[in-house]
Amino acid sequence: MNTSPLYRALLRTAWIAGAFCVLVGGIMVYEHFEAATNDPWKSPQLLALREKLAADPKNEPLQKEIRQLDLKFRRNFRHRLALDNTGAWLLLGGTLALVLAAAKAAALKKTLPLPQPKPDAGEQSIKLASRARWSLAGVGLAVAGCLLIIGLGNTSVLPGSRDAWQKLLSPPSAQEAPIAEAPVLAEFQANWPRFRGWDGSGTAAWDLKTMPGVLWRSVIPAPGHSSPIVWGDRVFISGGTTNRREVFCYNASSGALLWQRAIENVPGSPLKIPETPEDTGCAAPTMAADGRRVYAIFANGDLGALNFDGSVVWTKYLGPVKNPYGYAASLAVWGDNLLIQLDQGETRPEGSKLISLQGGSGRVLWERSRPVPASWATPIIIDAAGKTQIITLADPWVIAYTLADGNELWRAQLLENEVVPSPVFAGGFVLLVSPGAKLMALRPDGTGDVTKTGVAWATEENVPDIASPVGIGELVFTVTSGGVATCFGANDGKKIWETNLDTEVQASPGILGDRLFILGEHGALVTLQAGRELHEMGRTQLPDKFDASPAFANGHVFLRGVTNLYCLGAADAKLAKQP
Amino acid sequence: MLRRLKFVGALGVMLLLALMVCAEQRFPPPDFENGYRLPSASTPAARQLWLQYADAGVLLAALGISVWLIYKKRSRRGLFWLSLFSLAYFGFYRKGCICPIGSPQNIVYGLFNPDYVVPATVLVFCFAPLVVALFAGRAFCAGVCPQGALQDLVLIKPVAVPLWLEQALSVIPYLFLGAGLIYAGTGTGFVICRYDPFVPFFRLSGGVFILTAGAAFLMAGMFVGRPYCRFLCPYGGLLRLASLVSKWRVRVTPDFCTQCRLCEQSCPFGAMREPAPSGTNPKWLWAERKRLGWLLALLPVLVAAGMWAGSKLSPAAAQLHPAVALAERYTRQQSHPVQYGLMTPESLSLQRAAEDPKAVLTAAADLRHRFDLACWLFGGWIGLVIGLKLVALSVRPGRTDFEPDRGACLACARCFAACPNERVRLGLMPAAGDPAPS
Repeated sequence: MNTSPLYRALLRTAWIAGAFCVLVGGIMVYEHFEAATNDPWKSPQLLALREKLAADPKNEPLQKEIRQLDLKFRRNFRHRLALDNTGAWLLLGGTLALVLAAAKAAALKKTLPLPQPKPDAGEQSIKLASRARWSLAGVGLAVAGCLLIIGLGNTSVLPGSRDAWQKLLSPPSAQEAPIAEAPVLAEFQANWPRFRGWDGSGTAAWDLKTMPGVLWRSVIPAPGHSSPIVWGDRVFISGGTTNRREVFCYNASSGALLWQRAIENVPGSPLKIPETPEDTGCAAPTMAADGRRVYAIFANGDLGALNFDGSVVWTKYLGPVKNPYGYAASLAVWGDNLLIQLDQGETRPEGSKLISLQGGSGRVLWERSRPVPASWATPIIIDAAGKTQIITLADPWVIAYTLADGNELWRAQLLENEVVPSPVFAGGFVLLVSPGAKLMALRPDGTGDVTKTGVAWATEENVPDIASPVGIGELVFTVTSGGVATCFGANDGKKIWETNLDTEVQASPGILGDRLFILGEHGALVTLQAGRELHEMGRTQLPDKFDASPAFANGHVFLRGVTNLYCLGAADAKLAKQP
Repeated sequence: MLRRLKFVGALGVMLLLALMVCAEQRFPPPDFENGYRLPSASTPAARQLWLQYADAGVLLAALGISVWLIYKKRSRRGLFWLSLFSLAYFGFYRKGCICPIGSPQNIVYGLFNPDYVVPATVLVFCFAPLVVALFAGRAFCAGVCPQGALQDLVLIKPVAVPLWLEQALSVIPYLFLGAGLIYAGTGTGFVICRYDPFVPFFRLSGGVFILTAGAAFLMAGMFVGRPYCRFLCPYGGLLRLASLVSKWRVRVTPDFCTQCRLCEQSCPFGAMREPAPSGTNPKWLWAERKRLGWLLALLPVLVAAGMWAGSKLSPAAAQLHPAVALAERYTRQQSHPVQYGLMTPESLSLQRAAEDPKAVLTAAADLRHRFDLACWLFGGWIGLVIGLKLVALSVRPGRTDFEPDRGACLACARCFAACPNERVRLGLMPAAGDPAPS
């Protein structure tokens, strides 16, 4: 054994260096995991302050506090980096000393081999082979054991057999469909579940008989341009700003605000959302309801489903939405399907798509990309040519998709400009407006590109630019933003009459019984006879500004003004008690 | 001199470790309110074609030089310098990619995915060392492999691994190879590259797990010669097979073996084999033949058992594929809807994927079927490897001299200098009968 002082000194050096390395390495590992578990980005203190700031964005002391906290975290982070760096150099030095000392000591201790004869080499070789076989068998067993443990301990919820896969991938049969969950058509027709009614036509079959008066009005706590929707005894509207986006539920009889619920903490949605133009705002898209839930979407792409008691069922972030004037297309519902036309891009398509979600779960049933830039029209769902079709408008394409799987049925290149008016289905035609250019009637029974074959008629007279048309029987009515109301024949597009209402109009007209309701931007509510003869049935003035379209349900007309929600009814033309 | 260079190499490794510790930390970007936009990350352009051909040329040249140094010059020093060059070029300059170790995955991925065309340079990197091994053994391992060079630098005091353990562990590279190829074939990923413990050192970046594994291999490498090469490297497994039938083989002595046993201790990789008597004791002969017969009969049973075990592995193995994992999460979410509070990156990915569920499930179903077949084959492969190894351990080789094991020898040339005949050839000592130097 080498007992020279040099050897002993080297050995001690190696031991000390080794212990030093273990100590430094241990501290570094501890620091690493400590830093990993205490992520400053998730600091409860910082998150709480940010929440406060979201509610009160102009609070400067709060902003300062957040900045100081952020600075503190960053300084801590830099300090830890410096510590890591120092630790690494210490580790390097310790390792260097360890390697040098150990190698030198090993060299000093090295002795020349003195091989001896092996008379029993053959026997040893046999024993060695035997031991190797057994150890190999042990390795084999260990590997097999590991595979079985991994395989049998698997907790996959996906099917294990081809048959099970087949069953999962097949569409559910009629017997398997959750019938109890699906609202029936009559329920939709009895309510006003989406923008311009259950079918998006803007019409209701019942009549008020007389010129309605205001039954109640209720203050709307947040701005928005979305139209009211009604289901049973509840009226829903959405409102909000870049800081907070909410849904409001009112009692349809009294106008009392039953609840308001913020759509917040949407997974993936950034805390700070881009500014949207004031004319559009954050809450331009009209909500939708299916009798079980209500759905709301906002300009930033936050989408939420709420129960009728205001509890959140699910939320989803579909943004960021690239729309130069702010996203405004309303939601559409049909059965348990929730449809979102999410067209994006300033001059060319940038991720435009049509999405179908299952209302109850929010899961994507299908999604189709669309070759169009941003649009503002709301899709309608129609039963035509033996199919349930979704009609969508955007520059330049009118495209029809099947409701079941989103496959394209037909398309026509007919539109130009910024497409705001929504389509309607009346008299067997899809009526659509190319803003300021043409009003057209399209047959919805084609396939492929029907640009040259599908148009039944088109007219360039008094074409609206914002408000959607409305049809009844063989007549179609439009109103321009300048206030010119026009009646066309639904079969040939020929103008029957026109009149100037002397009011600016943003809201789409609606027909209640035989009354054409036109709501002026500055509060003039004009009712015309929805017939071949021009006849003004009444005119009243409301004390508000109106952009949203009327909702007709439960014998009442609901209007959203800039400041108030109004309920109009035929009982007495007087203001009801204020909630 | 050589030892000092080893220390320098070890120092370099530790320095890289230190740099990587810094690279581990991340901090979220601040919320800028002054309109500043963080520059978007961009993908670097692909390496120019002529540079790729240059890499292939360098590989071929290095292989040629390695063969020349092993068989013609018989120079350990030359191989040391060559391995240093390879470490610098293929390791730190090329950052460990492309390297022959991972290249079989590209080939298999190309075979099962028609959209992917295997680049010519990948073919060169995959097959050139194998072709060389068919003629000259593991010349690639000797001086061209950067991973091997790194481990060689830190080898200070080699400890012999018992031969029985060495033999048992030598099947692991084939299992790793099988796993790597099924994951490549199914498009899951290149796990051999992902779990290469030395590539993070070359790239100065890596996760905690793989850095720790790399550091562990290097520390073990101070006492156990090239642990990764011997017990894990899947490409080493292929080279081992090719070397078994190589035209030329490394010989310790340039002349004849005096059976002095001096070379026995010189191999740090446990590749030196002693002479085995050709004759067999008659009392063992029957038992040995019977054992061989049983093991040959056991071979198909092991393969079948492996296939059965592999078939059980399929659902778990498939979960590593992103598409299957997405389908898994989707299905779980359907059965147990969860509103995520704080999103994990995976949950966020699922939320944002917003893919057609049917498309996701269809893709997952297709992948699961592919995994069923792949895992079935993988299990059979495991049974075959273990069965063949058992058979090989039951066949006694005939050897008259001390010589390196054809498959296990890394051709590092360390044993040459231990042979007295080699020393005589080099003029380092007088031949028997020569007058002793005064």
